[in-house]
Amino acid sequence: MVKHQRQGFFLFCFIFVFLIFFKCTVFAEDTVSHEKDYLDEETITTVADPLEPWNRLVFQFNDRLYFWLIKPVARGYSMVVPEDFRHAISNFFHNITAPVRVVNCLLQGKIKSAGVEAVSFVLNTTGGVFGFHDFAGKDLKLRVVDDEDLGQTLGNYGIGNGIYIVWPVLGPSTLRDTLGTIGDGFLDPVNYLELENAIMVHTIEFTNKTSLHLGEYEDIKASALDPYIAIQDAYIQYRNKKIKK
Amino acid sequence: MRKCFIAFTSLLFLFLIASRGYCSDPMQQLRVTVDKVIEILKRPDLKSPDKEELKRKLLGEVISERFDFQEMARRALARHWRKRTDQERKEFVRLFRKLLERTYLRRIEQYSDERIIYKEERIDPPYAIVKTVVITRDSVEIPIDYRLMQRSNDWKVYDVIIEGVSLVNNYRKQFDRIIRSSSYKSLVDRLRKKVE
Repeated sequence: MVKHQRQGFFLFCFIFVFLIFFKCTVFAEDTVSHEKDYLDEETITTVADPLEPWNRLVFQFNDRLYFWLIKPVARGYSMVVPEDFRHAISNFFHNITAPVRVVNCLLQGKIKSAGVEAVSFVLNTTGGVFGFHDFAGKDLKLRVVDDEDLGQTLGNYGIGNGIYIVWPVLGPSTLRDTLGTIGDGFLDPVNYLELENAIMVHTIEFTNKTSLHLGEYEDIKASALDPYIAIQDAYIQYRNKKIKK
Repeated sequence: MRKCFIAFTSLLFLFLIASRGYCSDPMQQLRVTVDKVIEILKRPDLKSPDKEELKRKLLGEVISERFDFQEMARRALARHWRKRTDQERKEFVRLFRKLLERTYLRRIEQYSDERIIYKEERIDPPYAIVKTVVITRDSVEIPIDYRLMQRSNDWKVYDVIIEGVSLVNNYRKQFDRIIRSSSYKSLVDRLRKKVE
């Protein structure tokens, strides 16, 4: 009887030590295995780019446009409008596009995120004075990790990128994300203004946004050997990651 | 029986401690390096332009303790790495290292006034990933993940992923394109022109 007990005990010890010994690996298996991408040493993110010669032309055009027009304007604007003000304007535009995010959260079945977006919208519009202050995000720490849009929703449904497209002024996109942007446009209240006013408001929005991101494009260009490919790849990696979330 | 139990328990503790120590390393090691980098970037005596070279040198020393540039170069060149001679590889690592240091430093320099939060680490020996978040002044969160590899007792960074974009993958795509559309030589020429 005693001998049996002892044998059982040793077996137990053996299994336990065995488990502990492999604990790290077993534990890691659970947490890391769903992103084994570090094992892919040679993967290249690909996107069909049949329009490449044309896209490169548009890319060149945008590059010139940025340095000759957009950047100087955004610079001038940033000298006139203080940074805090520009952040407030950026908050305002982020707030009025809440319907886009709420709907896309719902379309992806992210009920909780949809709720958070809707509540933030109400709080920011009231407590945050028309959304100029990010009351919900900054003061209440109520924040959705990821801004959802229709391109991501379509990706979530299993629709691929289609082809890569560089739009004049607007920059990198894909066929899917272009459709997404158009769809989301219907939920952007600015687009319900008269055409002239809508264009004006979008121009302000664009200039304001650029003024807060001056230098980023320059950085990418400075660290790239082929800026067109660098930005294409960064765009695709970035979107893929957002869709996975 | 009791003795046996005590012996077993202490053995168990030993294993636990050993595995804990082993598991909790990469984030700590990375944090030390990033802190050192930011400290150098913030040093007032290195701010003047004539100290630029010294600053670069100091930063290079700190970074090379933690970053494995050869591994980064190997991964970025991927299948083209195998076709290169030892001499070519050495030269490539040297040039690519310069480019990477610059790219990474430019990024981290912008964030040096912001808060860096070390969120979590995941370990799957010999690999690990450390997730950090940079919180900017207007409380925008920029996720920066570091992929590390174990080299004896040290963890070495072999990729940096900023907002979901892997630096190594991004360069891999560019290098592959340049080599396929022209040649390895023209890639090296372009790289040299960029950093020298």
